Amino acid sequence: MTALPHPDQPLTPAEARRVDAQLDWVIIPLFVLLLGAVFSFEFALLVGDWDYWIDWRDRRWWPLVTPLALSTLSGVFGYAFWRLLRIPVGATLSILALTGAAWLSRYLNFHGFANFPMNMVFPSTYIALGLMIDCILLLTRSFFFTGVFGGFLMGLLIYPLNWPMLAPFMVPVEMHGMLLTVADTMGFQYVRTAMPEYVRIIEQSTLRTFGEAVTPVTAVFAGFLTILSYWLWVWIGSLGVKAGWLRKAV
Amino acid sequence: MLSRMIRSIALCWLASLALFTSPAWAHGEKAQQPVLRMRTLHWFDVDVSARRLDVGQTLVVKGSFVPSHAWPEHVPSAQQTAFLNIGVPGPAFVRLDNRINGTPGIRSSSFKAGVQYDFVITLKARTPGRYHVHPLLNVKDAGPIIGPGIWVEVGGSAANFSNTVKTLTGQEIDLESYGLANAAGWSALWAMIGLAWFGYWLSKAPLVLPRFRRVVELGNDRADEMITGRDRKAAMLTLTVTLLLVLGGYFWAQERWPINTPLQTGKIETAQLRREPSPLTVRMDEARYRIPGRSFRIELTVTNNCQSTVSVGEFNSGNLRFVNAKVLQAQPRDQDDLVAPDALRVDGDATIAPGQTRKIVIYADDAMWETQRMTTMITSPDSVIAGMLFFYDAQGKRWAVEISGPMIPLFG
Repeated sequence: MTALPHPDQPLTPAEARRVDAQLDWVIIPLFVLLLGAVFSFEFALLVGDWDYWIDWRDRRWWPLVTPLALSTLSGVFGYAFWRLLRIPVGATLSILALTGAAWLSRYLNFHGFANFPMNMVFPSTYIALGLMIDCILLLTRSFFFTGVFGGFLMGLLIYPLNWPMLAPFMVPVEMHGMLLTVADTMGFQYVRTAMPEYVRIIEQSTLRTFGEAVTPVTAVFAGFLTILSYWLWVWIGSLGVKAGWLRKAV
Repeated sequence: MLSRMIRSIALCWLASLALFTSPAWAHGEKAQQPVLRMRTLHWFDVDVSARRLDVGQTLVVKGSFVPSHAWPEHVPSAQQTAFLNIGVPGPAFVRLDNRINGTPGIRSSSFKAGVQYDFVITLKARTPGRYHVHPLLNVKDAGPIIGPGIWVEVGGSAANFSNTVKTLTGQEIDLESYGLANAAGWSALWAMIGLAWFGYWLSKAPLVLPRFRRVVELGNDRADEMITGRDRKAAMLTLTVTLLLVLGGYFWAQERWPINTPLQTGKIETAQLRREPSPLTVRMDEARYRIPGRSFRIELTVTNNCQSTVSVGEFNSGNLRFVNAKVLQAQPRDQDDLVAPDALRVDGDATIAPGQTRKIVIYADDAMWETQRMTTMITSPDSVIAGMLFFYDAQGKRWAVEISGPMIPLFG
């Protein structure tokens, strides 16, 4: 048994390093859990069914709404991590935590409890979007340019990023003389009492200027909106970091 | 003392467990306002092909509904957008087909007031259990309007269930698992890259306090000095890999599933069947509901233009069936079937001869008015009721006529 050092005695560098490391072990896992919980709640409110069901991920609304929701915590925590620690992980870590929580929730709630097949409710992937934001922030060291390039890519690439997961569900099927996708077929067959067909918001809007090019038009529009949204949330993050209570607590 | 407290807590926990794991006795139908149940849709002849079946076997739910002419003004109507659905707890069944007057009901449609729609819903049992199966119509902006329920028991094992469809590209797929391994694989790949990026920064641990102190020490303007050349290289590499993988994945998917279509939606027009117009006209002159006696007294003027004498056999309102046992024999199919086999009484002579117009008074008396929470109709802001009257001739031929009009409650 080793004797405890006297409280007034300064810590050796090795001891100080050990204390810092131990603090990391407490703070970082707690923070990841917090991020997962907060982001899941926020994502459920803002995106919800668009991400829950395979037959909701359309070419117009899902890729427009989702990056706007993703840019919130990416902006706030991206700013906080960079400003306080100079670590560009805010976007990646928040989206990683969201992804982990989403897989857990879909497996336990949607599949295990409500009994929907997992392939109907698996979460989309957004981690690449967080990586782009964080890497661009490190390379440019500017939230302005991170918004311009990272924010734009976040909106632009959400559909192609998920296409390898979605494409098999967009294969056509004929059912009772009607054309459906595999995803539509699942939506019809696996009964959702409180979710009639008309509730889905499939390509409802006036963004039809370029004829059949629905996805690229939406992607570019989503990119521009996400730039603005990212800047807004970075600004909100800057207000949060300035908060007096935070400095006192730290 | 402590052990007694622990025992009490355990007992409470067990009691609450027993409470919450007991079967569901109702599915919200009683909670709907009587005005919604009585004046929106009239469901009748609802039946199922089997009360007991095994996983993988089909169940056919058949019946008819008529959107009411008395549909409340404050409730959005089925004449705009509606979808025929099935009320079961989650995907205990998969729906193979939905037909309304022969039209496939995969998409939403609209349903005209006063028109009879015959539906056939074909289900395949997926999960063992005992389910109260209801047809229901989801009406846009109004919500679900639920029809009568019948208990169905599903046996067998869920492990034996499969659900295959053939795509237009000729591939046969099982919808229970199709595409999941691919989706999970891509998700795992991105998670690994994300974790590698996070791990790169974690490798600089201890992280939080030392870096915070260093940022404070350098000040915000000089804190960028903490970013090393190795960090920049790692970021450049990660960004390049990310962009290449996004684009590569997109083109790989395009190559692998070149034939695809966008999600499909839209509205279809449901066919109307040609039916012989009703030879009976019925006017509701007065309706009074006596609360203490749970008794509905309705005065009617009936004109019979049939070739045969008819009698009132049934009054159906809000999924409650009040049957005149002198005309029709109907028994509840299970303990929750809302049939009162001898609860409809006609004052005096119940028959209406061909060509005759006469007033009749009917009484629908049963505790169901109370137990099914229909008595709250007296609190409606629009005190009007509606229901279907079924007339029968001696050969058992049936005519259905909707009645509706104001209702006066009697409190004594």
